[in-house]
Amino acid sequence: MSEDMADFLLPRDDVGKHASALVAPLNIQKQPRNQEKRHSRQSSSKGGASIKSQSQSQSQSQISPPLTPRSSRESLEQIQASLPVFHNYLRAFYHFHPSSTVTSSTDESSITVPISQGDVILVHSVHPNGWADGTLLASGARGWLPTNYCEPYDHPTIRSLLNSLTNLWDLVREGENGDLFAFTKQDYVRGMIAGVRFFLEKTECLTRDSSLIVAHVGLRRMRKGLLGDLSSLVKAAKRLQDILQSSETPVFPHLDEIVLKAFKLVTRAVRFLDIWAQDAVSLSFDLGDGSNNRPLTPPSDSVDPTVQAPTTPNHNDADVTPTNEDASSVSPTNATATHNEMNSANQPPRIPGRLSVAFSLPSDSDALQSPVFPPSLQTHGHRLSITHRLSYSGKSQGARKQSLASERLNAAHDAFLGFIGSFIGLHLQSRSSEELTLTTQESVIACRKLLAVVEEVWERDSRRSEPLEQAREVMYTRLTDLVQATKDMFGGSQYGLGEEVVMPEAGKQLVDAATSCVRSAGDCVAKARLVIERIGDFEFEIEDETLSKAVFDQIAQAAESESKDLEAPQPSEPASEPGRRPSEHTLETEKPLPAPPIESDERKMPPPPLVISESKPLPRVPQQIPNSNALQPGSPMSPPLGDSPTLPSFRMSRTSLPPLQQVPTSHLPQSTPSEYSQSPASATRRFFPKGVRADSVNASVADSSSSYRYSMRGDTGSIISLTSTRATTPEHSPSKKRSSQAFVSSSFGSVSELHSVASEDLSAAEEHLLETTFAHELVYNKEGQITGGSLPALVEQLTTHESTPDIVFVSAFYLTFRLFTTPIELAQCLINRFDYIGDSKTVGVPVRLRVYNVFKGWLESHWVSETDSAALGIIFSFATGKLRTAIPHAGKRLAELTSKVTEVRAGALVPRLASSLNKAHIFLAPDGHTPAPLTSRSQINALKAWKEGQRQCMITEFNPQEVARQLTIIESRLFCSIQPEELLCLEWQKKTGSKAVNVRAMTALANDLANLVADSILIYEDIKKRATVIKHWVKIGMFCLELHNYDSLMAIVCSLNSSMVQRLKKTWEVVSANTKSRLEELKTVTEVGRNYTVLRQRLQTVVEPCIPFIGFYLTDLTFIHEGNSTTRLLHGESDPASASVINFDKYMKTARIIDQIQSFQQPHRLAPVPEMQEWMESQIQRVRSSEQANVQSYYRRSLLLEPREPPQVVKAAAAGIEDGAPGALSADHRTTSKERFDFRSFHFSTNVVKERPT
Amino acid sequence: MNQREYHIVVLGSGGVGKSCLTAQFVQNVWIESYDPTIEDSYRKAIEVDGRHVILEILDTAGTEQFTAMRELYMKTGQGFLLVFAITNMTSLYELNELREQIRQIKEDDDVPMVLVGNKSDLEDDRAVSRAKAFKTSQEWGGVPYYEASARRRANVDEVFVDLCRQIIMKDRENKHRTREPREERRGRKPRPERDQHHRRPKCTIL
Repeated sequence: MSEDMADFLLPRDDVGKHASALVAPLNIQKQPRNQEKRHSRQSSSKGGASIKSQSQSQSQSQISPPLTPRSSRESLEQIQASLPVFHNYLRAFYHFHPSSTVTSSTDESSITVPISQGDVILVHSVHPNGWADGTLLASGARGWLPTNYCEPYDHPTIRSLLNSLTNLWDLVREGENGDLFAFTKQDYVRGMIAGVRFFLEKTECLTRDSSLIVAHVGLRRMRKGLLGDLSSLVKAAKRLQDILQSSETPVFPHLDEIVLKAFKLVTRAVRFLDIWAQDAVSLSFDLGDGSNNRPLTPPSDSVDPTVQAPTTPNHNDADVTPTNEDASSVSPTNATATHNEMNSANQPPRIPGRLSVAFSLPSDSDALQSPVFPPSLQTHGHRLSITHRLSYSGKSQGARKQSLASERLNAAHDAFLGFIGSFIGLHLQSRSSEELTLTTQESVIACRKLLAVVEEVWERDSRRSEPLEQAREVMYTRLTDLVQATKDMFGGSQYGLGEEVVMPEAGKQLVDAATSCVRSAGDCVAKARLVIERIGDFEFEIEDETLSKAVFDQIAQAAESESKDLEAPQPSEPASEPGRRPSEHTLETEKPLPAPPIESDERKMPPPPLVISESKPLPRVPQQIPNSNALQPGSPMSPPLGDSPTLPSFRMSRTSLPPLQQVPTSHLPQSTPSEYSQSPASATRRFFPKGVRADSVNASVADSSSSYRYSMRGDTGSIISLTSTRATTPEHSPSKKRSSQAFVSSSFGSVSELHSVASEDLSAAEEHLLETTFAHELVYNKEGQITGGSLPALVEQLTTHESTPDIVFVSAFYLTFRLFTTPIELAQCLINRFDYIGDSKTVGVPVRLRVYNVFKGWLESHWVSETDSAALGIIFSFATGKLRTAIPHAGKRLAELTSKVTEVRAGALVPRLASSLNKAHIFLAPDGHTPAPLTSRSQINALKAWKEGQRQCMITEFNPQEVARQLTIIESRLFCSIQPEELLCLEWQKKTGSKAVNVRAMTALANDLANLVADSILIYEDIKKRATVIKHWVKIGMFCLELHNYDSLMAIVCSLNSSMVQRLKKTWEVVSANTKSRLEELKTVTEVGRNYTVLRQRLQTVVEPCIPFIGFYLTDLTFIHEGNSTTRLLHGESDPASASVINFDKYMKTARIIDQIQSFQQPHRLAPVPEMQEWMESQIQRVRSSEQANVQSYYRRSLLLEPREPPQVVKAAAAGIEDGAPGALSADHRTTSKERFDFRSFHFSTNVVKERPT
Repeated sequence: MNQREYHIVVLGSGGVGKSCLTAQFVQNVWIESYDPTIEDSYRKAIEVDGRHVILEILDTAGTEQFTAMRELYMKTGQGFLLVFAITNMTSLYELNELREQIRQIKEDDDVPMVLVGNKSDLEDDRAVSRAKAFKTSQEWGGVPYYEASARRRANVDEVFVDLCRQIIMKDRENKHRTREPREERRGRKPRPERDQHHRRPKCTIL
């Protein structure tokens, strides 16, 4: 369609037609049903016999599925049925105005929220009967509303905004529970901003100058309003932040304010999208529609092709009975004009909003039946309950409703684990069998409860998750095993083991069964959670609660009270969740749950009567459901009718149809404003409940729709009229539980406020928005930390203006950016940031300064010349160009830095991390705390003599504490010079050209030290001497521990603990018990099990300086490197369209480890004794260069010293006898390592080691 | 104490993909980020032939150069995964040394062990023929040989399960033995016999 602005000037009706044209596809789906109803009803009102016959024919045709729309619908249903999803947002497309006054106000739990066409609702939960607990974005009112009046609302353009709204809502709920941390930061607001920005960008309305905005007055105004809303939201958030910082008292009003502002913003965005969809799309803007699996989304075109072919024969007599067929009959080539007419005839019932692209769901029937909610659930006829949005903000669980499936699952699991735990514990202690029986019983019961919950989840899921089923089956089996084991055991105990005490062994099987039960339970629970995430959380029924009474006392109570008094509000819930209807559906027939409100409403209201007559509580969707049944006898809808015993009353069986048909007719005439009857739409409209709504509401509705039209034409009053219309809504929503009432009315009600906002803050908001941002390309984890993002988004985080950039983030970035980008790219990206932010005072300047700071920090302390110098040219020209122009002194400084960096490069190492290097060189600041060396004059002399080659020194000659100190100094020198780059990317693993010189040197030192220990012990033939050396090393180890020199300690313990030393049994017999117990102590510290738990814990509390054992850091780094991918998907796995961004989490983890290492890089305050160090280093050197310094030769030496004892000898005698002889030993030593290796591999161990004769 | 906790040590030279193998095995597929610093990073409960066991895996990845540490690692292990990369012949040779050391430390020829040729997805770069690897495994007394791909998660679980099965069997054997007189125990030592029983030559190839 090529309408242009001229369309705005069309008379209203035309506009309506035009608008409706866009929606054609949607209608096509549902039309058949409507027709059916319509014709029977209409026959009276509109009269024409021809119509009647026609409609009949149509209905027939509907029954047999020749119609095109059908086929398309069916395929759709298939798709959607396979994906039952919980939709976070609904959009009303009928009015639903229960008697506005009385009903609801009495009791919070029964509050029904009136909804108007086009209202967007944030859904919290959905009751199986089709009522949803939702909050109207338009008013902030919360209450029950019929889902069948709504359809899921989701559109790629606005999705990101909606998501951030959901996020905000969850945060606020957290906030209400006292967790306000998120509000001390602005991330959530940034999310909203990014959402708006993304939205405007997608609609091509981002800048004031975009052609669409220029051309379209309505959009221009909407955009302005949107910006106004945004800026007031931002302000509110800032205010909240300030308040939190100053820790003033009540924050809740502010939370509410923020929520409402956000709602308002989104509401306006929705409106915007509506208008945009009408106009922009008609202007043939091609929205790359992201809603792939909803073929019908794009309003006009996509559907037609499918539809038209079969239906072509159809009639254009649609005037009275407009049908989809009509629409479909139009061949695609048909001029838009025809199209429009037809559709407009069809369209009337729709609100303008209905027309929007954003209404993505193809047909209501689909929406009602499968995808969204209850219908699909009902289909299975299982016990139903409310579906909840699963909140991902996992904290403060306590405040969440305990009857939620997710909570139940957790609670049941916990309880189960508790019982099983004590059960297992009991067994190990072999208590009395009676006690055992009891625990066993409890465990089994708990297990059953858990199973029940899982079962529930499984049944709830219309897709019948297979993994979950399997897991459940497994668990059943385990449970059976457990029961069986119990039986067996008690059977056994009767026969003799004695009834009093069950031996642990007898219970072993039981324990096994229990453990496997635990395992499968864990699995089961994990799977169930996945399912819940997918289908939405939901509430449990009372039945279950009674079942689990013992476990969930509280819940049970709550449930009971509920069952007694349906209306009773939930005590803990700030926002009331109206009664959840458990299994008592039958009762509900009379007193429908959500129905209570409804019933009464219905009595008063025209459409409700239907329900009354049927005594069907369902939010009887006006016509659709019945129709859908009629239309699709074979559809998933029908089986449930027969199958589900619980719900028959709920079902919209055909019987319910007649009343429906009658009712509307009678009521409509009265309620429908004349305005409607004039419009082409009026005929159809009447059949929708909205038409029923009396006076004021109707008027306001009319207003709103008209205001849209005006706005489309560019009427200046549109925004205002829009707001004023909205302002009426709160009055109709009886359910304002929140203290926020004031805000509601103020934020939505006052036109003047909007004006002021518009005038004052618009520019600010504009700026905010135009501020290019990549915030939508960031991924956060549940703790609010950034775990991923595109490079520009990460750079943006580095240069935020609202707050100081997170130091951890910044240092992680500096450290690791070379792993995911290049210096040139980074420099470019920073310069881009500098460019796009502009030079505004509030935003531009601070950000530009930050950009400069990032460069400065990079050059000053994180420069790695080999890699980074490539970017030097870019940085320099930036410094002397743009930066100097904008901020002269910064430009100058940066230019200086670039040359400085070049100079330093000429030198050796660039001083990088101030922390490590500086301190490393303040070695021994004269400060009095340095302990004096514990070396005697004679020892020094001995060392001097050694140096002159006059004598040998033995380790035992020196004070072990001093040895430990000197060792520590040597280690520390290496450790402190480790550069972060050495730890990245498994650098130390590289076989050639590794830059990790210091890491490798440390590794080598540890190995040498270990060898030295072995060497010094094994050198003595005398047992006592060996024992002395062992004792000496244990002492040295103790002192190393004292000095937090874990690296040396590890080496020493390793060596003392090695088989070649350990196997010297005779030697150890001489070692004192004291020494042995000390060694044990050291062993526990260096325990490698459980992922070095002991050592890790020690390091957490250690006061530096410290030389950690870098081994496990290296393992950590390896696993982080290998176990985490370099990229991640922006929107998680579920979204196939998800873009892939840098997995910054991986780099944060890496940086965290390196940071930890660096924090230890401080020199010890110890006085070196050069003589001793020299000697030690020579010893190390000797060991290193010795060919014998390897495990095998030490082992052989050990064997020589203390040959294997007889019992070890195996039958095969006398194979490698000569090895026992000294000569053989020396011969062995002479072999090259290669030879040794081969020899060993195939002969040595078997023959010599294992079977060596005495 | 839960006796069903077994310690497995993963050995092999640097760069053969040990850590990948372990991470793949230990990690739940849907966990987005892997944090190796926590105590349970290397623990996993699995079921082997209907028995539930907890495996505690000690992966030496990153510390291959700490040769002095090896013994410490090896001492803790009840079963060993010896990993090389099929793209790197040296990595297989280096395992010989490790194996000898294990046998020495355990003073046992029969330590539960699995030989794993990792990176089987890189068939084009294969440097170690299956025959060669298999031959090595036979020389080691019929140690099972698997070719696995951590990247594709092929044969990952299998490798661990096989090892675990060996450990369980050994465990049982030992218990059995303790009730037997010592002589007898020694009597049944001849390896070939055992090979037939427990160590059917195995070569699992994708």
